[in-house]
Amino acid sequence: MAMAIVASSFYACTDNTKSIIDTSNNGSYKVYTLNDVTEVQNLIADTIIGTSAQGQPVGTGHFTFFSLKNRAMVPLTDSATSNWDVAFRGTTILTNAGTSGPGMGGAYMHVGLFADVISFNADSTIRTDAAPVYAIKTGSNKGWYIYDGPNNLVTPIPGRVLMIRGADSKLYKLEINNYYKGGVTPLTTATSAIKLSTQRYYNFRYKAL
Amino acid sequence: MKGLKYHFFVILLFASSTATYAQTAADTSYHAHLKQYNIKEETVVTATRTERKLSNVAIPTKIITQKSIKQAGSMRLSDILQEQSGLFLTSGFGTGVQMQGLNPDYTLIMINGEPLVGRTSGVLDLNRLAVGNIKKIEIVKGPSSSLYGSEAMAGVINIITDQTPNNKLAASLRYGTYNTKDFNCNTTFSKGKFTFSHFLNSYQSDGFSIRPYAVERTVAPIWRLTNQFHTSYQASAKTKIDIDLRYAYEHIQNEIAVTNNGIITYSKGNEYHKDFNLNPVITHLFSNKLKSTLRLYATNYNADQNLNTSGNSIYDDQLNHQFVRVENQTDYYLNDQISFNTGIGYVQEGVKSNRYELNSARRTNNINYVFAQTEIKPIEKLTIIVGFRYDNNQLFAAAFSPKIAAMYKATEHLKFNASIGRGFKAPDFRQLYLNFTNTAAGGYSVFGALEAQKQIDFLQNIGQILSIESDYYKLKELHPEYATGINFGLQYNPNQQIQFDLSFFRNDVENLIDTRLVAYHKSGAQIFSYLNLKNAYTQGIESQMSVKITPQFAVSAGYQYLLTADKDQVKEIEAGRVYTIDASGFARLMRLDEYIGLPNRSKHMANFKLSYENENFFTNLRIIYRSKWAVSDKDGNGLYNSNDGFANAFAQINIAAGKQFSKQFRAQIGCDNIGNYIDMANLPNLAGRTFYTTLSFQFNQKNKK
Repeated sequence: MAMAIVASSFYACTDNTKSIIDTSNNGSYKVYTLNDVTEVQNLIADTIIGTSAQGQPVGTGHFTFFSLKNRAMVPLTDSATSNWDVAFRGTTILTNAGTSGPGMGGAYMHVGLFADVISFNADSTIRTDAAPVYAIKTGSNKGWYIYDGPNNLVTPIPGRVLMIRGADSKLYKLEINNYYKGGVTPLTTATSAIKLSTQRYYNFRYKAL
Repeated sequence: MKGLKYHFFVILLFASSTATYAQTAADTSYHAHLKQYNIKEETVVTATRTERKLSNVAIPTKIITQKSIKQAGSMRLSDILQEQSGLFLTSGFGTGVQMQGLNPDYTLIMINGEPLVGRTSGVLDLNRLAVGNIKKIEIVKGPSSSLYGSEAMAGVINIITDQTPNNKLAASLRYGTYNTKDFNCNTTFSKGKFTFSHFLNSYQSDGFSIRPYAVERTVAPIWRLTNQFHTSYQASAKTKIDIDLRYAYEHIQNEIAVTNNGIITYSKGNEYHKDFNLNPVITHLFSNKLKSTLRLYATNYNADQNLNTSGNSIYDDQLNHQFVRVENQTDYYLNDQISFNTGIGYVQEGVKSNRYELNSARRTNNINYVFAQTEIKPIEKLTIIVGFRYDNNQLFAAAFSPKIAAMYKATEHLKFNASIGRGFKAPDFRQLYLNFTNTAAGGYSVFGALEAQKQIDFLQNIGQILSIESDYYKLKELHPEYATGINFGLQYNPNQQIQFDLSFFRNDVENLIDTRLVAYHKSGAQIFSYLNLKNAYTQGIESQMSVKITPQFAVSAGYQYLLTADKDQVKEIEAGRVYTIDASGFARLMRLDEYIGLPNRSKHMANFKLSYENENFFTNLRIIYRSKWAVSDKDGNGLYNSNDGFANAFAQINIAAGKQFSKQFRAQIGCDNIGNYIDMANLPNLAGRTFYTTLSFQFNQKNKK
């Protein structure tokens, strides 16, 4: 944990071109933009607040809505609008269309490197959410992450680029680099308390195409 | 007993297993034809299934003697194997042994030539075996299925018990750290044509916890009991009957505390393992050139594991594995140049488990097999062995395992050997019949290959399947896993003091069985099954050197260099389809030179031993080294590379010393892991520094002529 804090503050201090946005009710996440690539750190996605009667860790159940265009979180009250492009809850990611929202959104997953994607043909590839099946598949090794059961850790699969169509049908490429607070995955030997309290923090970068 | 004249015998220091090797009349006359048979020299049986002088065997065999087992203070088989070159002990489902870089599933473990059964997830726990009555351990590396069938893919470890006919009573008691008590008692008695021996071992330990303040023990409190009887009857000069009976019992107690939101839930667990082996053998010498052996073997392994959590139902897991075999082996010695051995056998094997559907029904497999081998000496310096075995399985495809080996004695001091052979491992019952749904962890299911389609079709008919994955359509009859192994090496002993061995090995493994996601339950939980999928290789160099500096002082060192790879992963990397992460956590292409290969393998392993020994005192220092090994896929790309999680390299140092105080009394002290090296996550079975003392007594009565 200490390492994570040091790492992120170091990052923030040395790069003057980046701006920090704080929101009071959803913890603090940070958004930096450099050369048209926007990097988002510590965007919480329904962090764990307790355990259910069955002993499963649970959050509030709410998604965190985010506008890729405005580079900012969207209030929960706007969930039924076209003001957001992507939403996060645990490992589930929504796009604004189909069963998830009124927008013209959608997504598909590209295997390759972020830098190599220049454009894509949205009409032939994009899927929309049809709960419980989402455009960005959930499940270990199905979509953007693998889940290591014995060690209870979620790791983004390298080389997975989420091609996203925003609510306004603008196209983006997005790459998730970490799922933990401060962008640092706990050690496999860390206690389950640490693993639970630091997870569901999205760290990703994206760029409009 | 008073009238008997006792002869005190210094077994532990001087009973070099060879010097006291018991030869029956039948054996003696048989071997009389093997010219210049030198009884002083070490003999081995595992490499060819016939007794051979170690220096004459074309397939290199490593021997661990009784003396080195005692002087290392070993109690269980795992203790002594971890000090051998090229053997890597694994933890998880007990302690298994990795040979030539292949998993514990692929090494056959035998007692007196008969296989042990009862594996958990492919691992036969080496802690099940006490070593107090072992005469020697023979290790043959490389595929040996041409003689032994399934599981002998990486190699064979054959434990040969001490059946020396004499009258003696030997007992030893060892006490050490963690309240570990180990008691051994060997009794042998021979009269006329009968010999009888009994071995008793009791091992008890409080276990230990290397996690501070934890309720649960890293190694749980355990009690192990082994009883082994051997009787032999020399019916005539030509016929001998041997009966071996072994019963081993284990009880492990576990206390587990799970903390959830500050509420601690306690569970009590008990594990019981029972192992029973019965092995009657009749050996008959038809002529001085023809010997035939009829072996019967029956073994039963029973495991019962329960967990009682307050307020919850009892979790109970049961497994019973039964194996019965009848085998005849005939050895024909034509002349000095040519000898043959051939065998035929029938196995009936069955497993019962509550992880299979209908836990009352025993799943069975029958195997018929035949093997033949010939040893030819076309010229004095060259020995060639050609052999094969054919296993016809009831449940899955048949397996054919050929082997060719050659040894060339270039000079009296230099020998070369080479072999190529095929080994296999049959799919096990778990891979065929498992029907297990883990309700405690999200409700995922694993179905054996023979169950999967049936179960998934059933679930689909009642609307309980969310989706079917493409691997479902690849489900079919499982085939054995195959390895083709090439071994070549040289043995150089310029004089009596120096011995140097160097060998190269390569194993190409095909058809490796792997678990794959085949469908989803309606709840979203995954369903897995088994498929023949992967191809891999392991290759490396092993070397060993021992030098006797003075008659008392000896140094030996061993080293193994190992490279492994999953061939399909290499293709993916070469095709530029594998990514890893850069320092920021974002993806970049992975290079082939970053690839590690198979996890849980050390590239470098070494051991070093310094020993001093005189007539009534010995001391030794042993160092074991393992370089780092991959343990977790930190970058999430599904294969192991230099950006992943590793266990640190480590060295373990053990020392021991012993003194013979009188002919019947001996004491030994030792300290294992002097450096107190602990790696809780990756070496859970390695206790910190431990101390022990052993006291041994021996009473011997000279055989009446």
